[in-house]
Amino acid sequence: MEKERFFSTTPPQNWQAGEPRLPPPPEMTSVPAGDCFLNLNWEQAIEQGTHLDSALSSLVSSPSSNPTTVAANDSVVIRELIGRLGSICNSGEISPTSRYHGTNTSCYSTPLNSPPQLNLSMMEGRGGLPVSGNMAMPAAQLSPFAADPGFAERAARSCFGGRSYGGLTSQFGPSETGKLSRVSSSQSLMGSGSQMDISENGKETAMQERAQLEMGMRSKLGGRLSGSSTPDNGEFGSGQEESSASDRITAGGEASLRGNSENNARKRKAPPKGKGKEPPLSSSGTNPPKRSEEVDSSAKRSKPAETNGTDKDAAVKPKAEQNGGASSSGDSGQKQGKENNAKPPEPPKDYIHVRARRGQATDSHSLAERVRREKISERMKLLQDLVPGCNKVTGKAVMLDEIINYVQSLQRQVEFLSMKLAAVNPQLDFNVENLLPKDMHQASGPMPPPPPPPLYPLDASSTAFSYAHQPQGASLQSVVTNGLENQCSLNPLDSSLHRSLSMQLPPLDGFGDATSPVGTFWEDDLQSVVQMGFGQSQENAYSSQGFHVQVQFTQIT
Amino acid sequence: MEKQDSNRSLSFIDTPTAANAGFLERGRRIKMAAEMGLVESSRGRHWSRALRSRLLRRKGNGACGCKEEGLAPCKVAEDLVGEDGDDEVIEIERRVRALQKLVPGGEDLAMDQLFEETADYIEALQGQVNVMRALAGLLDGLEKEKRLMGG
Repeated sequence: MEKERFFSTTPPQNWQAGEPRLPPPPEMTSVPAGDCFLNLNWEQAIEQGTHLDSALSSLVSSPSSNPTTVAANDSVVIRELIGRLGSICNSGEISPTSRYHGTNTSCYSTPLNSPPQLNLSMMEGRGGLPVSGNMAMPAAQLSPFAADPGFAERAARSCFGGRSYGGLTSQFGPSETGKLSRVSSSQSLMGSGSQMDISENGKETAMQERAQLEMGMRSKLGGRLSGSSTPDNGEFGSGQEESSASDRITAGGEASLRGNSENNARKRKAPPKGKGKEPPLSSSGTNPPKRSEEVDSSAKRSKPAETNGTDKDAAVKPKAEQNGGASSSGDSGQKQGKENNAKPPEPPKDYIHVRARRGQATDSHSLAERVRREKISERMKLLQDLVPGCNKVTGKAVMLDEIINYVQSLQRQVEFLSMKLAAVNPQLDFNVENLLPKDMHQASGPMPPPPPPPLYPLDASSTAFSYAHQPQGASLQSVVTNGLENQCSLNPLDSSLHRSLSMQLPPLDGFGDATSPVGTFWEDDLQSVVQMGFGQSQENAYSSQGFHVQVQFTQIT
Repeated sequence: MEKQDSNRSLSFIDTPTAANAGFLERGRRIKMAAEMGLVESSRGRHWSRALRSRLLRRKGNGACGCKEEGLAPCKVAEDLVGEDGDDEVIEIERRVRALQKLVPGGEDLAMDQLFEETADYIEALQGQVNVMRALAGLLDGLEKEKRLMGG
């Protein structure tokens, strides 16, 4: 489906993942899938969303391969936005079936002026409704934005702040340019003129949606990517500030971005915030000195980062230089700027502006240590929520004990369950050759779709496999497995078990004659299966058994 | 590795006879498939890539016990030095090292990133366990049906 295609075709070369999650399954659009099938896509999309998030976070946290200039970045950011939004919009427009069209309107009735809600509706639309439902989205939601063409651009600019997504842009840019033309051609808003030309209009509107999508994703990531999302929302109305913000971003982005390209891990600057305070505080005369100072500090930072290559050292030195610069320069504007940076909830920007607390040492080392300790305690709190029964525990050592025990117990459970599965069903087996790719390369680039593996498991003597013939196997592969090389021929499982299931289950034995009507059992969705089963006298026992299977299955899930 | 050790321990429980060997082998294959499922469900994560390379290595080489993971730098609890007493730091560092061994690819990670990966790994494991439990229940039910139907 197009949703998966959207996720899979974004080039993951610079992502740490390195592989697209799904090869676009061709059969999916033609299969008259039932609810289970679409739920499958939804879960896949959502989990891809989460993996997109995790990949984004991992990617944002280590902007290893950053492009050189910010000017290029901005345009690439825009292109990326357009491409991604375009794919979302196009996915809705391409698929003709509108079976669920009527149900879409409720999802997309959220007010458009509130970006988080819009984002939520978009996510819901991607997740909860089939692809055809997205058709309603562009028409309904993009038209108001046409009235303010610069709105989207300003929103995107201020949201992204140029730097935080320096890493992102390079990844999505090249592949998404192809989609740009699609966006421009497919948007119905082009008719609603503006000062921009047609392609730019589609660009803006699509970009705004993308900006909101990005904002939602960023908020999902706990504000790691850009803590300025909420302040930026407030800034939307003021165009003057936006233009100056974009100017500041483009100008200041270069300096810190160059420094960032050699920086390690999650040192991210708060450009909109810091720059947002600068114009009222100081004239433009002080801006260049501050930026040059940042450039120097970033240059100095890059060297220690290269020599040490550790987060801590890289964190110590920039803070040392920045704080030293703040204290030595004595410029009230700069100090206020840093103060304002520290006041809002500390965004994980390029550098972390830390203000020494009252009565504490202002030593750069202790500041850096404090920052790291805070980070670590934040992560430990997160772990505390995950591990059950850890709330009452105090103290790092005991909590670490609990965490270790929990991880060990989970691993042992996986092992035990795998042995249980082997015991429960003697026919259950896996073709290990198909599980892992034959090549020993790391997942560095997009994996080519492997040749369809044989559907039959190792124990090929059973007659039950005759109904697992290839055409159905292929469709089952596309239906059930989320893009893995394996084929799973157990249809009832796909609704809830596909998520981490790479298992290649053999068709269950003992279902009677493996004739072709039996084979078609696996193709249809659950309702038609039941009906077909009841309709065929020959298969009565079998289908009632299958019905029981599905009933049981729903009980389990 | 811990997983291989527990695998071996399981095989010690059932000394592999001719009857058991197939079962154990199947169990190991299922476990490998489950781990592959873990990998596929969380692509992009450091632990996922480490687990994947471990699985590839295990599958490709079989008996090759090459240990390349000892090369990672092992500075773990540096950040805590100075905050706690020495004993505490030692204790914590010991536990962090244990956690590093548990989480695939954990040896390369410093504390904060290690915790992040641990959180994601825990979530993935929880999901995997749920899936396998549901699958086991389903297959169990199917077996019962088969028997009831007079299979």
